Amino acid sequence: MTPCIQATNVTLTFTSKNREPVTALKEFSLEVAAGEFVSIVGPSGCGKSTFLNILLGLVKPDSGEMRLNGTNITGPGQERAMVFQEFGLLPWRTVLANVELGLELKGVAVAARRSRAMELIQMTGLAGFESHYPHELSGGMKQRVGLARALATDPQVLLMDEPFAALDAQTRDLMQTELLHVWERTRKTVIFVTHSIEEAAYLSDRVIVMSARPGRTKDILKIHLPRPRDYEMRLSPGFNEIKSAIWNTLKEELSATGVGDGPAR
Amino acid sequence: MALRDKYYEHRRAILGLLSLVGLIGAWELCLTYVIPVDPFFFTKPSLIAVAFEEQILTGSLLHDLAVSSKAFFWGLLLAVIVGIPLGLVMGWRRRVEYTLDPFLTAMYASPLVALAPLIIVVFGVGLFAKIVLVFLLSVFPFIFNAFAGVKSADPLLINVVRSFGGKERDLYLKVILPGTLPYIVAAARLAIGRALVGIIVGEYYAASEGIGFAISKFGDTYRLPEMFVGIIVMSLAAVILTEIMRKLEGVIAPWRRGEEV
Amino acid sequence: MKQEHEPLLLGGGFIALLLLLWEAVPWLTTLPRGLALFFTTPSKIAAAFFQLLADGQIQEHFSVSAVAFLVGLGLAIVVGLPFGMAMGRSRTLEALLDPYVTAFNATPRLVWLPLLILWFGIGIWSKIMIVFAGATFPLLVNTYVGVKNVDRVLVNMVRSFGASEWQVIRVVVLPNSVPYIIAGLRLAIGRAILGVVVGEFFGASKGLGFMIASAATNYKVDVVFVGVFIFMALSTLLTLSVKKIESNLSHWRPETAKTF
Repeated sequence: MTPCIQATNVTLTFTSKNREPVTALKEFSLEVAAGEFVSIVGPSGCGKSTFLNILLGLVKPDSGEMRLNGTNITGPGQERAMVFQEFGLLPWRTVLANVELGLELKGVAVAARRSRAMELIQMTGLAGFESHYPHELSGGMKQRVGLARALATDPQVLLMDEPFAALDAQTRDLMQTELLHVWERTRKTVIFVTHSIEEAAYLSDRVIVMSARPGRTKDILKIHLPRPRDYEMRLSPGFNEIKSAIWNTLKEELSATGVGDGPAR
Repeated sequence: MALRDKYYEHRRAILGLLSLVGLIGAWELCLTYVIPVDPFFFTKPSLIAVAFEEQILTGSLLHDLAVSSKAFFWGLLLAVIVGIPLGLVMGWRRRVEYTLDPFLTAMYASPLVALAPLIIVVFGVGLFAKIVLVFLLSVFPFIFNAFAGVKSADPLLINVVRSFGGKERDLYLKVILPGTLPYIVAAARLAIGRALVGIIVGEYYAASEGIGFAISKFGDTYRLPEMFVGIIVMSLAAVILTEIMRKLEGVIAPWRRGEEV
Repeated sequence: MKQEHEPLLLGGGFIALLLLLWEAVPWLTTLPRGLALFFTTPSKIAAAFFQLLADGQIQEHFSVSAVAFLVGLGLAIVVGLPFGMAMGRSRTLEALLDPYVTAFNATPRLVWLPLLILWFGIGIWSKIMIVFAGATFPLLVNTYVGVKNVDRVLVNMVRSFGASEWQVIRVVVLPNSVPYIIAGLRLAIGRAILGVVVGEFFGASKGLGFMIASAATNYKVDVVFVGVFIFMALSTLLTLSVKKIESNLSHWRPETAKTF
């Protein structure tokens, strides 16, 4: 069976004026099966977000192949949708119109996209906020809109670029649990980039630990926690073992990049 | 590759210069070879250059520039002296704000140049009328920006200074004044543009010397190259003054470089 | 004094006091002969206003000024918006036009007035052109800045949904630049009125600016003030209307981000 996502030796170097070229990814390879929840952790600047942008089709790698269902990725497409760290909501649109955006760009008729958007607004716990503007929402609510918008086009793959990094600790915990609920219902393939070891361990089937720049796979850890998961699991000794396993792999890489930017918790 | 990188790096300067040179060249060539020049209707760069040289040699250009600068300087200075304190007081004292704001807003929104003919009739042709006109046009940016600067003082910073035992005086010196300074420099940039309007209108209307007078006089007598010299000198002065102010904004408030007030 | 009425009472009171003082000057002192010639009072100005209104003179001058204003501003919008938009999206065009935009924007457009009068003659067209020259640049520059300041994250977000360049413009760039364009319109109106006033001082035989200038030469100070007050009222009215549009259009913005 072809994997859903297959990255083979992906290399990308950024060149910019007055600066040394930066190799963001070097021969990075990864396979993700359909319906799998995979997290990527790694030191800052290790190319995690770059990888997502290549997957999304916004950036082309210098060499290597990035395949989706066996075909090369040449640009953005409806099978993939991104949830952004900075939310990326259009400030002049209401919640409803923001959720509808992907469908609108696809050319879906007004009535159809409205009912689809309302469905996701219900699912993500935004009911009653349809006509609010983004500036009237809390960070958690904004990211619910981001999630609803990404899911509205019914993509096969959900790409999440540190989606909860801008939220406070409690909201973050809540959003993680809600994301799991939504994931249980939809079973999308998820690639989740994060700085937080705990978040990666709690959500994922597998955690990819990346090396410091240039980014490559350092280790892949399988998380053998039963599904559906709940918050109590995070208090168990087994969960702590998983965390320390990830931490031990990661810490050498962190010291390679210097201090001050370690993983959250 | 390297050449292309160099191009992208300096694209702004290269293309800007190219487009300037191109325009001047096209203008000259067009009027030399394509359309014959009707000297009462149009002129070309080479003729302007000749007129420019002549005006420099006879000293008339420098004289006009000095005359215009004098009115510009005094009017602007007066605007600073009156405008900034007024704006600061309006920002500090709510009652003063309430009292003066509607009146000053109405004045700021109005085209006060409409008063120019009256000012010139009252004060006569000459330096004084121009100073009044420049003052009247350029005082409002100072008032309103000084006002906005005080208003923009962050209450959090005020509390920080207070919590460290800062006195009223410390608030002004350490929070309000540094916060207001960039607003005032921005005001100067706006005021310069308005002051130039004052100079131009004042000198078009009634003057016997000055750059504005030169432009209008040469226009009336169909001496286009000489008129263009005036226009170009005025534009250069405006661009230089504005750019100095922009740079000053960056120097005075490096922490907010790139923001527009 | 009630707190909420304080701004209105103080602000309105101050203007009323100024007018009252002005009116009272002849009662309080005897002006020197030289100054009395240039002196008028609000009541005389009001009388002159109604007189001119009854004659139909104001209507006549006003309609001439209004045509120059509207045609010039309309042309400025038609030219300024597309050029600003194009400059914001194309770096090459930006670099090519930048020197001219900077120079024209910094220099008062009034330096061109004698040339425009020479080219277009005394009449409506020289005024339309000076209004156009004044109003175009604030619109162009603000549109340009609005397009330039578009949030990269939003553009990437829309691209990630497979949007075309045109969809990026329609969904992100245009809505983002609307507040800038409206603010530009507010500036442009001010410049346009300036153009009408000064244009009519010199290159006209009709219009409110002409009315002011010719009244001043004939020492009809009350008529000068009638003209000045009409311009004041029109400017304030137009500025307030645009501010109203601004606040209506920016209901999606948090209060603090509004421009002033």
